[in-house]
Amino acid sequence: MKGKCYIQGMAAITPQHTFEGDLTQPMAMTHGNMLSCVEPDYRSFIAPNSLRRMTRVLKMGLAASLKCLQDSGIAIPGAIVTGTGKGSLQDTERFIKEIRDYEEKALNPTPFIQSTYNAVNGLIALQQKCTQYNNTFVHRGFSFEHALLDSMLLLHEGTADVLAGAFDEITPEHFFIKSRIGLWKKETVSNDKLYEHVSPGTISGEGAIFFLLAPSATAQSYAQIGGLEMLYKPSSEKLKTALPQFLQQHGLQATDIDLVLTGANADSNHDHYYQVLNDYTHCPQLPFKHLSGDYETVGAFALWLAAQILKQQQIPSQWFPMLQQPPVKLRNILIYNHFFGEQHTFMLVQAI
Amino acid sequence: MEELKQKLKVQIIEALNLQDTRPEDIDDNAPLFGEGLGLDSIDSLELMVLLERQYQIKVEDPREGRKILQSVQSMAEFIQSKQQPA
Repeated sequence: MKGKCYIQGMAAITPQHTFEGDLTQPMAMTHGNMLSCVEPDYRSFIAPNSLRRMTRVLKMGLAASLKCLQDSGIAIPGAIVTGTGKGSLQDTERFIKEIRDYEEKALNPTPFIQSTYNAVNGLIALQQKCTQYNNTFVHRGFSFEHALLDSMLLLHEGTADVLAGAFDEITPEHFFIKSRIGLWKKETVSNDKLYEHVSPGTISGEGAIFFLLAPSATAQSYAQIGGLEMLYKPSSEKLKTALPQFLQQHGLQATDIDLVLTGANADSNHDHYYQVLNDYTHCPQLPFKHLSGDYETVGAFALWLAAQILKQQQIPSQWFPMLQQPPVKLRNILIYNHFFGEQHTFMLVQAI
Repeated sequence: MEELKQKLKVQIIEALNLQDTRPEDIDDNAPLFGEGLGLDSIDSLELMVLLERQYQIKVEDPREGRKILQSVQSMAEFIQSKQQPA
């Protein structure tokens, strides 16, 4: 990636108290395998007449995007690009149930409209009267990464700024469906004890995270997105060569990395991929999915976390009790995540 | 008729998720769209669905729909006219 990409504003609604960007908040605990977001009061962002029709992920997505724009000081972005793995599940489930219950007749338009993946983008555009480029990527574990790649390409082509984000929700019904294909742990795990339970499956999560990206840095920039690489179902050998190559492309080697944020999720089916990080023992490796749970666009949460850590130059110790020795400096953060062994991502996030 | 209007108000509040609105806040003759409850075009589709699901009445002509959905009064009158045996 030739062009530069800086995070000028961001906001996150996650299972942690992240909405105000305050890293001193205590870790939110969930004594179950389904992490749900800590939601803000939406009324300060969305008019009551609009709010009444929206389901949860739409409110989360719209509020996070508006807070992000507020944080960046930009009202109308040059483009709106998002990624979602599942879109509005609540609306999809409601629409499908109504098809069954009413025998395909007398169907309500609202859940149908809102079940489309681009509903959040449409709402943001309507709210901000933004008629610029508008795109939503739905590529399972690469959904957010493709939105990010598209945003970086837009910046490279001259777009002044891009609102890039991700949103996904989990519902009890979807949790049940995915549990049948073994995505979640059979035993009930508290999120703070996740890594003590290495067994098949992990814990589920959700989140809505947005970034305002621009091609040049200012005093308010959080961090630079230095690199992004996606690998689909790589072999262990491929992964092992791809990581040093990725760093090399950006003029770095393993010892330049100050902190690794890993998507390790105590899932014994896919844990072996993280052996690729064996060369990075010189710096702390912190897993983050005990904070977010696992879902298609969780990479956005890792990016938010990395950018916050770099901007504030500190790691929230209450969120990472496993951290023994904080890094001497915080300049380059490597994120390595994969979605159930299929979509693998390297992201390089650098201090300004 | 009074009973039908009351029932209709409860159903409208529920179908459109009109938080903070109680049945007694809705005037029988107040316009449902624009002023009054301030409903919009999506709501009009939802109300059509309500008529179909709750009263088995299908409004075929959109021009007719505009008149029917003017107020709770007009909706109730329309439902009653359809329910009376010919």
